[in-house]
Amino acid sequence: MAAVRFALARALLRLFAVQGSYNYERMLGVGVGVAEEPLLRDLGDGPGDGRYRAAVARGAHFFNAHPYMIGLAVGAAARAEHDGATPDQVERLREALCGPLGSIGDRLVWAGWLPLLSGLALVAIALGGGWWAVASFLFVYNIGHVALRWWALRAGWEYGTRVGTALHHPVLQRAGTLLEPAMAFAVGAALPLSVQFLTGLFPPVARVTLAIVAALAFLALRWRGDRLNGLRLALGLAAVALIVGWIWP
Amino acid sequence: MSLPLDVLLLLLIWGMFVGLDLVSLPQMMIARPLVAGTVAGAILGDIPTGLKLGVVFELLQFDILPVGAVRYPEYGPATIAAVATAHASSGVLGLGLGGVVGLVTGLIGGLTINLLRRVNSRVVHAAAARLESGDPGALVRLHAVALLRDALRAALVTAVGLALARIARPLLAGPLSPRDATLLAVAIVAAALAAGTAGTLRLVGRGRNLAWFLAGLGGGILVAWLR
Repeated sequence: MAAVRFALARALLRLFAVQGSYNYERMLGVGVGVAEEPLLRDLGDGPGDGRYRAAVARGAHFFNAHPYMIGLAVGAAARAEHDGATPDQVERLREALCGPLGSIGDRLVWAGWLPLLSGLALVAIALGGGWWAVASFLFVYNIGHVALRWWALRAGWEYGTRVGTALHHPVLQRAGTLLEPAMAFAVGAALPLSVQFLTGLFPPVARVTLAIVAALAFLALRWRGDRLNGLRLALGLAAVALIVGWIWP
Repeated sequence: MSLPLDVLLLLLIWGMFVGLDLVSLPQMMIARPLVAGTVAGAILGDIPTGLKLGVVFELLQFDILPVGAVRYPEYGPATIAAVATAHASSGVLGLGLGGVVGLVTGLIGGLTINLLRRVNSRVVHAAAARLESGDPGALVRLHAVALLRDALRAALVTAVGLALARIARPLLAGPLSPRDATLLAVAIVAAALAAGTAGTLRLVGRGRNLAWFLAGLGGGILVAWLR
């Protein structure tokens, strides 16, 4: 039992670097293999054994999902190897997990937890929270981050090939439905307060200009969102501002 | 802008960690512009400037949803370079100049991420036979070297950003009148606001969540008006 807990802890630590060798050939596969390896060491006669090496090689095959949820795949695949699943079954399990782990993680974290806390931090800074707001953002965000990674790994190891059951966990379902409206509200509130925070030194005419330019820029992003992004837009507007300043005496 | 060597070194190290955090290790969100900018401000002894530029780039960050293999600019080291630029300039000039330097650094950072992934693909392709043999040593080595490669990339991007910060002031600040500086700051903040709003609306979609967004927007406007 202690050995399993130790192996899980090592796998968890390695999961923090799961995207370290991100590439277009195997995506996160190599990182997944590195994270899974400690859980495979007692397969067969251990390192050097054919069963162990075959499992390590399988672990490093193509894989892509949300990085915080990958523990589910790592734990489940390692458990399946221990339970004597065939290579074909393990490969199919990994393939089946890519899509759901990606979409659940994206919805929960990238479109929920992260923008929610970012929006709240922006509100807090605009209201004078200063660096405390940033420190609180980092602290609270990582409580959810580490908890999700640990739960995912433990659940994957516990359920093995039945890992689909873990994906129906009520907390995951409820979190999704609560985070989305909370995120929408927080970021909605953050936008005007952030502008007020940034434009404190602007003269009134500059604020009116800003409102007009921002409205036009927003429409441009909505209209040509396929070609235009925030970076291109900002660089373009900065270039226009420099040219206007140069030619307008 | 001429920063002491020890401060530059600290910013470079911080930029390396920030760049690593974005994708590779440990994704604890120190790469978020709010965090990267505030700590850069603390290193420079100017937290308010760090917060200001952090808020600008945080709004721009809302435009990015890092799903799949999507390509995006890197705003962490970019915010550090922006804060280093703005630190030496006061008021709206700092906001505008810092914004421009940060945007260019973010663009370069995004290009290097794509380049790194291509290099990693070649390395993984070349090591396919060793990986298929199940050699754990080869697997871990390949992964560790890729991490080091990303650390080097992040440090290089930060160094380029700090170099841009050094040349931006004499190059741009001199010819800019106060009105030009305000125009530049207006352009940067307007773009950040537009990108933040458009990015959020993409996440929010329509229906019930849009109503929550509008309620938050109304509440934010009310609080801003009352302050």
